[in-house]
Amino acid sequence: MKKSLYIFNPGRMSRQDNTLKYTAYDEEGAEGQTKFLPIENVADLYVFGSLDANSALYNFLGKNGVSVHFFDYYEHYTGSFMAKEYLLAGRLQVAQTGHYTSLKKRLVVARKLVEGAAFNLLKNLRYYQGRGRQVAEEIAQIELYVSGLPYATTIAELMGYEGNIRQTYYRCFEQLVNVPGFTFSSRSTQPPQNELNALLSFGNMLCYAACLSQIYHTQLNPTISFLHEPGSRRFSLALDLAEIFKPLLVDRTIFRLLNKKEIQPRDFVRELDGCLLKEAGRKTFVRVFEERLKETIQHRRLNRSVSYQHLIKLECYKLTKHLLNMEEYQPFKAWW
Amino acid sequence: MYVILVYDIKQQRVSRMLKLCRRYLHWIQNSVFEGEISEVKLNELLSKARAILDEDEDSVILFKSRTQQWLEKQVVGRERSSLDTIL
Repeated sequence: MKKSLYIFNPGRMSRQDNTLKYTAYDEEGAEGQTKFLPIENVADLYVFGSLDANSALYNFLGKNGVSVHFFDYYEHYTGSFMAKEYLLAGRLQVAQTGHYTSLKKRLVVARKLVEGAAFNLLKNLRYYQGRGRQVAEEIAQIELYVSGLPYATTIAELMGYEGNIRQTYYRCFEQLVNVPGFTFSSRSTQPPQNELNALLSFGNMLCYAACLSQIYHTQLNPTISFLHEPGSRRFSLALDLAEIFKPLLVDRTIFRLLNKKEIQPRDFVRELDGCLLKEAGRKTFVRVFEERLKETIQHRRLNRSVSYQHLIKLECYKLTKHLLNMEEYQPFKAWW
Repeated sequence: MYVILVYDIKQQRVSRMLKLCRRYLHWIQNSVFEGEISEVKLNELLSKARAILDEDEDSVILFKSRTQQWLEKQVVGRERSSLDTIL
């Protein structure tokens, strides 16, 4: 299976002998070790550090279908270099747009997305409830919101439900992460106000980029979304899909990292008005997140083991079938 | 599939072989490569390798293993290149 590359160190990536050459820079800016990376085995690049590259490299990456995702110093997703679309499908494009423009059809998809997200985050809460955490009240509250979903008649209303569900869910975070030194009052972004928020921001962004990478390998158009408003200059379909996978990929990664003390308060830096993950912490996070994406589960319908990463792609296929009126979309619901 | 590829090739052809292998596998030591590769990609690599090597003089040896877990790797001395994907 092709692998994602994560680049933290400043360095120069270039094309040489039809493959990738990476030269790291040390603190003084002097060239360090060079490393050749097999292009045939690279799925995509995630760039966190400062990377030097020229257009020859991007042409080469484009030809090989490798996309590059960029993140700024504050760990926000800033954008992607996407290779030219290689799977074009006019019919699907028309169907996707049709499902967006008709409010009735759009509501169906959007509602399923919220439903899937709510189901998966409830799964997380129930798991911890089984381990003696007091979250019954929040579970009941979220279930109440979910029961209201079928009656929502506008997208804004659905977004409202989604917001409420998440807010209630985040209220439990402090309980779920039973480690001193981590408090969580409410979700804050740009910049995140405390450690848990910093982890959530970082993780959500990785999840967002992972979804985008998978969408690229299907015929769906990443700019036309259903739950989120398709804005310009962003791939909002990835935001839609990420909703479903965030509880599984991001939140569970965070619980593991903190409960096993793999990330500790000293992995953060407080500066200006926010809280950020230090580089060592980021690397740990990425390593565990990557493990999670590669982790496999036994798929019930396909009757074979499937990685989390592949589950995202399967989700795209299901969406495609729905858009082409072949089979109704059922959001992915964790069954274990 | 996880493979270890080693080659012994006459000097005038060795750099072409090196460049070819770099595209598919991770270089770990002089004339030794390692990495995850699919059946199809491996066939592609081997057919390109055949075009480079002279079958009377040179050889490429492959060690295949189903997954990386089935392989225990031990490095004595300096590790010249790690296989890490987090740079």
